[in-house]
Amino acid sequence: MDVRSRLPASLPPARASVLDEADDRTLAGRAADGDVRAFEVIVRRYSPLMRAYATRVLGSNSESDDVVQEAFITAWQQLPSLNDGGVVKSWLMRIVSRKSIDRIRARKLHLDIDDHEQAAPHTASPHHVAEVHSRETALSAALNAMPEQQRQCWVLKELAEYSYDDIARELDLPLSTVRGLLARARKNLIRQMEEWR
Amino acid sequence: MSDEPLQARGVPTDAVLPVDTVLPVDLEAPDAVLDGFEPADLDGHTIEQLNDYLDAGRQPLDPSIENSPGCQIALSAMLRLREMSRTLLETDVLSEPAPTDTWVSGILNRIGLEARAGRDIPVQHPSPAAKLTLTEGAVRGLIRAAGDTVGGLLIGRVRLVGDVTLAGEPITVLVDASVFWGEPIVAAAARVREAIYAELLKHTELTVASIDVTVHDVHRSRAPEALLVRTDEDD
Repeated sequence: MDVRSRLPASLPPARASVLDEADDRTLAGRAADGDVRAFEVIVRRYSPLMRAYATRVLGSNSESDDVVQEAFITAWQQLPSLNDGGVVKSWLMRIVSRKSIDRIRARKLHLDIDDHEQAAPHTASPHHVAEVHSRETALSAALNAMPEQQRQCWVLKELAEYSYDDIARELDLPLSTVRGLLARARKNLIRQMEEWR
Repeated sequence: MSDEPLQARGVPTDAVLPVDTVLPVDLEAPDAVLDGFEPADLDGHTIEQLNDYLDAGRQPLDPSIENSPGCQIALSAMLRLREMSRTLLETDVLSEPAPTDTWVSGILNRIGLEARAGRDIPVQHPSPAAKLTLTEGAVRGLIRAAGDTVGGLLIGRVRLVGDVTLAGEPITVLVDASVFWGEPIVAAAARVREAIYAELLKHTELTVASIDVTVHDVHRSRAPEALLVRTDEDD
């Protein structure tokens, strides 16, 4: 009588390849209903993007793995309330943004001792060294050299397409401050980019 | 506290920065002047106004911006920066390693414990002392499994509409699905409906009024909302 015992604990491997091809809405729908295998496909599909993005927000990749992991756990918990599974990608980006910002807040609480110490810049990784002299490297370096709040505002605005209001709310800053920070960030970056033309 | 080498802590070195890159001295100066990007160069406009103008998709068209050579130069620079920002993240993603199985398992192990039980669906038993229930999550699993067995179509979200906690209450099953490329959609939807109906009849006491299958996508085409087929139970 217990139907639960008749259900496979997970889908057989042959199905996994079918799920790999599935669109986001199908996967998000299955995951919302409790299909762990479908969720795994989402995790594999979007973790590189989320990791790259978290690294840009945090200015370092040392915490990215943890942040993305936390983001996926929250995503699993909240998936049933996501009505349109087709937007799961941008929805995940919102969650990882929030988790990254939480980290920055926590970092501030714990590391007020040394305000000037910065986390390992993204540029220190080998693949970036190989990209030296590309304009992208210049942008990357310029971003990492930027003051933290400027960079965060800029990443949220330009990479995650947040509105000014959303940035102000997420970073707990007055709207005017956000606009000011973004104005400075933009000028700084344009200056550096134009030097590279 | 940190034992990382100096260059890993924010001090640019020649190894990571092109030698001729000049970093601005004071990035936080409130009134950092940028030649060519000040109101005097922009026919009275500010870079913020230009940015808002770009955000609005250059609508409504502003002749005082469009006819200003200074603004046009600034707008091109801003567009170049946007384009580069977009490719920056794309390049970052390409250089990200694929997640390791250990890391993925770390997530799955933590979420696997949280079941999605949903509502309790009563199941009759000859003995009045016994109270049997089936979880909504289990029924959803049954429906997914039925669809997966039939093939040609992949089931997404499943909703049981109606009060499943009351025996005999008519229930509508809403199934969101995508079909495989080349599969006749109506036939696949009909097959899957029959399979779901049979499974529910076999394993549950639900009174199924209708099974609605919505096909939202065709695999491999990845065309969003390309096809929307709704089939309703006739009886």
